[in-house]
Amino acid sequence: MITLPLEQRLEILADSAKYDVSCSSSGSSRAGKAGALGNTTSSGICHTWTADGRCISLLKILLTNACIFDCAYCLNRRSNDITRAAMTPDEVVDLTMNFYRRNYIEGLFLSTGVIRTADYTMEQLIAVAQRLREVERFNGYIHLKLVPGADPLLIAQAGRYADRVSINIELPSRQSLALLAPDKPRESVINPMRQVSDLLAEAREARTQSRRAPRFAPAGQSTQLIVGATPESDRDIITLTEGLYHKLELKRVYYSAYIPGSVDSRLPALPTPPLLREHRLYQADWLLRFYGFAASELLDAAHPNLDMRFDPKSDWALRHLELFPVEVNRVDYEVLLRVPGIGVRSAQRIVQARRGTRLGEAELKKLGVVLKRAKYFLTAGGRYLGGIRLDGPRLMERMLAPARRPAHLDQLELFATMPDASALTGEL
Amino acid sequence: MTVYRFDGSFEGFLCAVDYCLDIGDTQPEFIRDGDVQAVGLFAGEVREVATLRECALTLRKRFVEAASQEAFATARYAFHSHKTGIELLLWRYLTLGLQVGRRLCLMLAEEPVHSVNRIARQVSHEAHKYKGFVRFREVEAGFLYAQIEPEADILPFIAPHFVGRVGDRPWMIHDLRRNQAALYDLTSWRLIRDVELSAEPALSATEHDYAALWQRYFQRHAIAERHNPKLQQQHVPLRYRKHLTEFIIP
Ligand code: SF4
Repeated sequence: MITLPLEQRLEILADSAKYDVSCSSSGSSRAGKAGALGNTTSSGICHTWTADGRCISLLKILLTNACIFDCAYCLNRRSNDITRAAMTPDEVVDLTMNFYRRNYIEGLFLSTGVIRTADYTMEQLIAVAQRLREVERFNGYIHLKLVPGADPLLIAQAGRYADRVSINIELPSRQSLALLAPDKPRESVINPMRQVSDLLAEAREARTQSRRAPRFAPAGQSTQLIVGATPESDRDIITLTEGLYHKLELKRVYYSAYIPGSVDSRLPALPTPPLLREHRLYQADWLLRFYGFAASELLDAAHPNLDMRFDPKSDWALRHLELFPVEVNRVDYEVLLRVPGIGVRSAQRIVQARRGTRLGEAELKKLGVVLKRAKYFLTAGGRYLGGIRLDGPRLMERMLAPARRPAHLDQLELFATMPDASALTGEL
Repeated sequence: MTVYRFDGSFEGFLCAVDYCLDIGDTQPEFIRDGDVQAVGLFAGEVREVATLRECALTLRKRFVEAASQEAFATARYAFHSHKTGIELLLWRYLTLGLQVGRRLCLMLAEEPVHSVNRIARQVSHEAHKYKGFVRFREVEAGFLYAQIEPEADILPFIAPHFVGRVGDRPWMIHDLRRNQAALYDLTSWRLIRDVELSAEPALSATEHDYAALWQRYFQRHAIAERHNPKLQQQHVPLRYRKHLTEFIIP
């Protein structure tokens, strides 16, 4: 496996790693050390974007794409007939240092297939991080994957070197996991997450006692869910996500539209990956984290899936027209955040600016507030900005009007309407 | 009407502003030293203003105490846009801040605050992008060298970032548009002006290998099923690509 030339192995191992969408280099802020390489910035930095429009922030590779497990949705599954390759820890260290120094990357995201045992595999990942930190004095970002079933002691060790650790749930329900990833019982994934969450709390506590207490994964933990490979509804997914944020304090949950890479009969034959659904889930996720929404407000038994026509906030507002319009000069910040088309930055600017002047339509435009959707839900100085007052169905029609495009959506526009395009680029 | 000529630096500009405040000139014009286009534009008398660090610092202190640290940072970003007319806009901004104090940052929807904020945002946005877009090449003897062609004069904003980041090698980031460079010598960085290359620097023995590995990695990382070059172009407009290793065809 190590006999192929380095550039070929790099290609193979990058290929196998690219479906893990967590690319973020955020959440950790560490100043550089004199004479050493590396620092981290809390918002993360994108270094380039690939032809699919995704940001590259970290060198994302697998140590090896060989795996003893056979998860149906995964390219690296044992039964898949692909070329296998591996890198030595030294090679990964050397690539990381040299890419980093040239400012290609923010750091390393290292994952791997499972070789021999979970513990052995975890030790290999830790060895790379340890060498980077202790031998090379590398001070940049490191994201380490946790291996399902690895010993708690190893997990604690991983967090000492890494900025962020993650373990992917991949499938939103126990049943789907049992069906598609029989080697990985849900506990082998959830238990390490719980442990990490406890270790994070401990480290935080210890640091309030002493600034010198050892750090543990200062950028927290994240996970990924595959969307569209199994029958769970958006409600199942978003409810799970909410639990992960609240109970396990995850920093990020990533969603990855399922890309058919297997003819396994247990998996659906999708013509294209469900990108729009993935996009809507990111928007809903955003509403949970920054807009004060609860999963149950967005989705319920009567309404288990996100509307593909509207962003989830517009969808929610259209179902709650009795709450609108609201007066832009008066309502609380929390209410402003619930107005379709008004993002965190706009809401902040409004709150700041209205202390100085009374806001009308012209002032809002000057503040950079996009009124295209928001105007139907706002009054400014008592004046309704949406023109004629419309009832629900007609308002819906109006809001859909510009979106009446040919059935296949223009992807550029699709992503441009995200509350913040950085959902995919890794800003927190 | 008097035209005040300063050395082109932000400190120099602050000194010119300070001078006008001192002598009570309420209708000044400003030009940068060496700005040949602007010379014939003004009819008034030209007065040279010397750059004194002290005097720039005094004005900064006064403004920060009146308005805020943040408003000062905004002015600094906006100045480095080098847009035509930025000096006059900032003159209005600074004097307004001295008058109205903390209320300045609430006047978001009014001029000149609105324009200054907008321009400052553009500059800080570009500076942030370049934290990712600088590409160092290793030249002989381990020295790192990067070329950039930014719209705004962003070197003062990105250099401290790279000091904290690449602290184990000397480096230079060369702004080709302005013939100036940030130079780091393992202790601190400084700005040098009038930098011109006589020839492309000779690269180290392994530079080509790492660049090639990076190019391959970059190519491979795109997911074919999600192909979306428009989105890519939105994030990496073509004008940046000239100096990005991964976009340079070997
Ligand atoms: S254990 Fe990980 S690498 Fe191995 S088949 Fe399952 S998902 Fe793929």
